[in-house]
Amino acid sequence: MSEEGIVVAQVGDIDEGEGIQIEAAVLGTVDNVAVFNDDGEYFALDDTCTHEVASLSEGWVEDGCVECPLHAAKFCLGDGSVQSMPATVDVYPHRVVLDGDDIRVIPNPERLA
Amino acid sequence: MSITQLPSTEVGERHPGFECGNICRPEELSRNVDVSGLVDRQTGLVDRVIFTDRTLYEQELARVFATSWLFLGHVEQLQKAGDFFTTYMGEDPVIVTKDKSGSIRAYLNSCRHRGARVLRADYGKARNFTCTYHGWSWDLAGKLISVPNEEGYANANFDRDDWGLVEVAQLDVAFGLIFATWNPDAPPLDEQLGDMKYYMEAFLGRDPEGTTIVGGITKWVLKGNWKLAAEQFGTDWYHVNMSHASALMVLSPTGKGPKESIANTPGRQYSDERGNGTGFPTHPKSRFDAQPVHEYYDYDELRERLGTARVEGPMTTGHATVFPNFSYLPVNGSIRVWHPKGVDEMEIWSWTVLDKSMPEDVREAQRLYNLRTFGPSGIFEQDDGENWSEVQSISHGWRTNTVPLNYQMGLGSERHDGVYPGETSELYSDAAGRRFYGRWAELMNTPAWHETRNVHE
Repeated sequence: MSEEGIVVAQVGDIDEGEGIQIEAAVLGTVDNVAVFNDDGEYFALDDTCTHEVASLSEGWVEDGCVECPLHAAKFCLGDGSVQSMPATVDVYPHRVVLDGDDIRVIPNPERLA
Repeated sequence: MSITQLPSTEVGERHPGFECGNICRPEELSRNVDVSGLVDRQTGLVDRVIFTDRTLYEQELARVFATSWLFLGHVEQLQKAGDFFTTYMGEDPVIVTKDKSGSIRAYLNSCRHRGARVLRADYGKARNFTCTYHGWSWDLAGKLISVPNEEGYANANFDRDDWGLVEVAQLDVAFGLIFATWNPDAPPLDEQLGDMKYYMEAFLGRDPEGTTIVGGITKWVLKGNWKLAAEQFGTDWYHVNMSHASALMVLSPTGKGPKESIANTPGRQYSDERGNGTGFPTHPKSRFDAQPVHEYYDYDELRERLGTARVEGPMTTGHATVFPNFSYLPVNGSIRVWHPKGVDEMEIWSWTVLDKSMPEDVREAQRLYNLRTFGPSGIFEQDDGENWSEVQSISHGWRTNTVPLNYQMGLGSERHDGVYPGETSELYSDAAGRRFYGRWAELMNTPAWHETRNVHE
């Protein structure tokens, strides 16, 4: 299990309620990936909002959701599903595993480049 | 359908600095009333119509507020990049923020698309500014970064760079106070303040560490033309013993009112040709402050650093206006701006300023003291507000409006007294009032930068 995924950050690198952007090249994905810390739990989603071009890693993390920093569309951190207009299309989720202090992301197979 | 262009449009005003296409405002919409007959500095008389006329008011926005340095807020209101607060410059809503490089920036808080306010919060933290109407977004540097359905503008020669937030022409900070102007040709803030800085420093330079503010700005609406308040804070000690009689009785240690020497204190009133004014008693005991604050100050140290004349003059219970609409009270730690809201109404936005080094108990004493004296229900503020509203409420009457008002006290008494910088008169004087309206009339009769600049500049 500990061999699974790619280490993208260490615990402590991402402040509570914040996200970071992992470049697509690091994970071999079609889009950049945003990794979030929601009250000590870590989640990963495709980074680009499905409404307009914006980085969800700069969004507002609250109550299991990330709110886009541009137009306030909301997505569920767990499965990427749209929770609020103006977005109407879900973002893809990626799996995150904690391995000691390592934060590993397992890219969603559907989003490999 | 065709629109015929009339000759007057050829010479009309075109707004400089941003995309205008063929938009050209006809001359009939400009406000160009000659006010030289409404303010008479020589005899000290003012025509009351300057407080009531809508055309003059619109000219005032375009020539006084559009050209002058205006107060925005205190530097402590912005700590990190993305912190913002909103306020007004005249009637124009503005966003004041810190960009990613740490510079303070100020933008017109109106969407370039359909004109809604981009931000509606009083203050907060943002990564971008997004209009809630259709979703146009700007970054902290005012650059347009997102336009939903942008492909719809394909045939409009649309370039995001043409549609940034409208930024002020100049922004500067003095004594921790942020000022800005729309006027690219305005002389530097330092020049506009001039000798006024000596007096401001008596209040804002008491602590070498600088000042901070009590969180939260007190805001209230008052009937009255904004000039009534700005003028009084610049020039009017005269009203104190009459209007504030009850407050002075209550506050005197004996409960029987202040001593004759304090009630009829000597003092000086500074004024300058740029419209600034401040008056202050020169009686060392004329210091109506909270006891813990009084005990906190080391007056010997202050005398050494700022000079005896300053400690026993502008650091006492004074009053001041920085032209046009920023005022302060040094002892109370009150700073305020009089936002114009039409001829008959103003909004008062008021901050409590504290010295950074003050310990918590002294801060609290100063906060409460300012709230009790000059908060919206303060015992002095109530008297002042009542006067201005009373004056305004009758001023539209025909007979009332056509009788000139008297600003003759201390006429011709302004002089260099050898002690205080610039020209001063007695404390009881209308000198700063005459200069306030003199400057006002000068600006009202001068076509502003936006009326004279070449569109193609």
